[in-house]
Amino acid sequence: MSRNLLETDGPEWVRKGIITPEQHQQLLALYPNEGKVVGLLPLLGSLLVGLSALSVVAANWQGLPEWLRLLLLLGSMGGAYAGGEYFLARRNESLGMGLIGLGLILFGCGIILTSQMYQLIGYDATGLLAWALAGTALTYLYHSRFLFILMACIGGIVQGYSTGQLGGFSYFTAALTVFGLGYYWWRRPDALLGTVLATGLLWQAGLLIGHLHAKITWFFIPAMLIYAVGDWQADRSAGRALQAPPIVAAFLFTLGLALYGEADTYAGMLRPPFLAYIGALLLVFGLSVAGKYQRGRVSSATDWLLLLPGFYLHGGLALAIATLVVLYAYSGTVLWRAHQENNADRVTLGTVLFIVTTMVAYFKLTWAFMDKSLFFLLGGALLLSLSWYLRRKNAQSLSSKQPE
Amino acid sequence: MSPTGTFFTHRRLIGLAVGAQMLFLLAVAAAGYATTALGRTITLRTTPVDPRDLLYGDYVRLNYTISQVKPTLWHGPEAPKKHQPVYVVLHAQNGVYEAAGVYATEPAVAPEQAILRGWVMDSWRHGLRLRYNLERYYVPENSGQTLEKAGARRPLLVRVSVAPWGQARITKVEELPK
Repeated sequence: MSRNLLETDGPEWVRKGIITPEQHQQLLALYPNEGKVVGLLPLLGSLLVGLSALSVVAANWQGLPEWLRLLLLLGSMGGAYAGGEYFLARRNESLGMGLIGLGLILFGCGIILTSQMYQLIGYDATGLLAWALAGTALTYLYHSRFLFILMACIGGIVQGYSTGQLGGFSYFTAALTVFGLGYYWWRRPDALLGTVLATGLLWQAGLLIGHLHAKITWFFIPAMLIYAVGDWQADRSAGRALQAPPIVAAFLFTLGLALYGEADTYAGMLRPPFLAYIGALLLVFGLSVAGKYQRGRVSSATDWLLLLPGFYLHGGLALAIATLVVLYAYSGTVLWRAHQENNADRVTLGTVLFIVTTMVAYFKLTWAFMDKSLFFLLGGALLLSLSWYLRRKNAQSLSSKQPE
Repeated sequence: MSPTGTFFTHRRLIGLAVGAQMLFLLAVAAAGYATTALGRTITLRTTPVDPRDLLYGDYVRLNYTISQVKPTLWHGPEAPKKHQPVYVVLHAQNGVYEAAGVYATEPAVAPEQAILRGWVMDSWRHGLRLRYNLERYYVPENSGQTLEKAGARRPLLVRVSVAPWGQARITKVEELPK
């Protein structure tokens, strides 16, 4: 139950005599105002202040003597950190963390501007690595979710710059994200941070695959490794949040395969060496299933349906149809599991997946044979009736499981 | 915010982290300053580049006469490999330094010669392409256009400070006197 509900509906319960005013107060005391929520306002505020300060200084930057520029950089950074500590000591968590975050951003700006001042930047990533290292250290020191998210972004930026501009993948940054942030999340499981961490890691994994010019299917080895870690996490909601980005990636990839897999040139671009890829995938699969078994969540192994390596088939249209069957099976299992768990959100998710799959199937299988207006008419009718049927089914299953 | 040890309290650790960041910035500045103060200045000449490629946002991309050298200048036990670090010996000709030899290990040089560290970018039968990490010059705002125009027509002269420990940085870029 949330504090919001108690605050809005509580007086009504007291009036109806369900609880006494004292009990209402006791209940409110059980749910203190959360101080740890990630405030959007301090985040945006620190960003805007940082940007405005940056533009003012940048406009006059070249005219300032070097020592003054350096002093400005050091002073603004130190000031932001000191201000952050000041407000944290006075229990103003969001403003304090916002300023600490600003200090970290200013450190990154300082590194770039100082190296530009002395023409030292170019191909050297050391300064950016120092930035990522500082971000990780501060995340641990403050136990802050805001800094965690900021650091995940910094890791992504540093990696993007490293591969894009410097032409080299920074294994140090990747290790820092995996072990630094990964360990933090493992010890302090959290749903939001799980999704942020997985997204940041997938971004870096994608950059690595691009940098190595490997077949894009190799992306799913690190992606599913992240997924498997989610299986071993004791905190279920945090584990699921970590697993969401890899599953979304796998679903989109399978959708793409259903749409374009018919052309053997596309499927050919996806085929990595069979034994190496299947071996690695089976290894990760084993790890994942062992985790599911350990934590009693074996039914979620159906997620792995999306990883069936259909692109090895040389079937043309048959491959597209087989992929569609897999997509239907997957969205079907999502719906089935949602009904089992009586989880309305996941029922909606399963319904959406089902409808998306149907759209793709329809587009794929009938486009060539049918007049366009008939295509739209039939497609619309099919979607409407399907959504109506699934909706009815949801309502039935949810109401039958709700206690009277 | 509990203390994490007897000496390393939360406050001290924070102070350490912030202090380390400040020291890092100062070290970057000190390295830049020392390179000019203690290093010797050499002058390099650029080759005209495709004008569309010269200006990249806030920096100018420079291509030197020593960026591409003849393979006969190579002195090493085996053929140069991509990304291999090399030592380039420079010799002054009419005030501008040109490459006299490319070595895999640091060679002993005459006092009038200078050494610049570089990396092999590409190597083929008729040439050796090198990178010195001096290919980007961060220009004062809006002055990139003039440099861009000048650099497309004629070579530019680039003054580079080389520190005794090998670090090099650009101190000045100017047009070739007529």
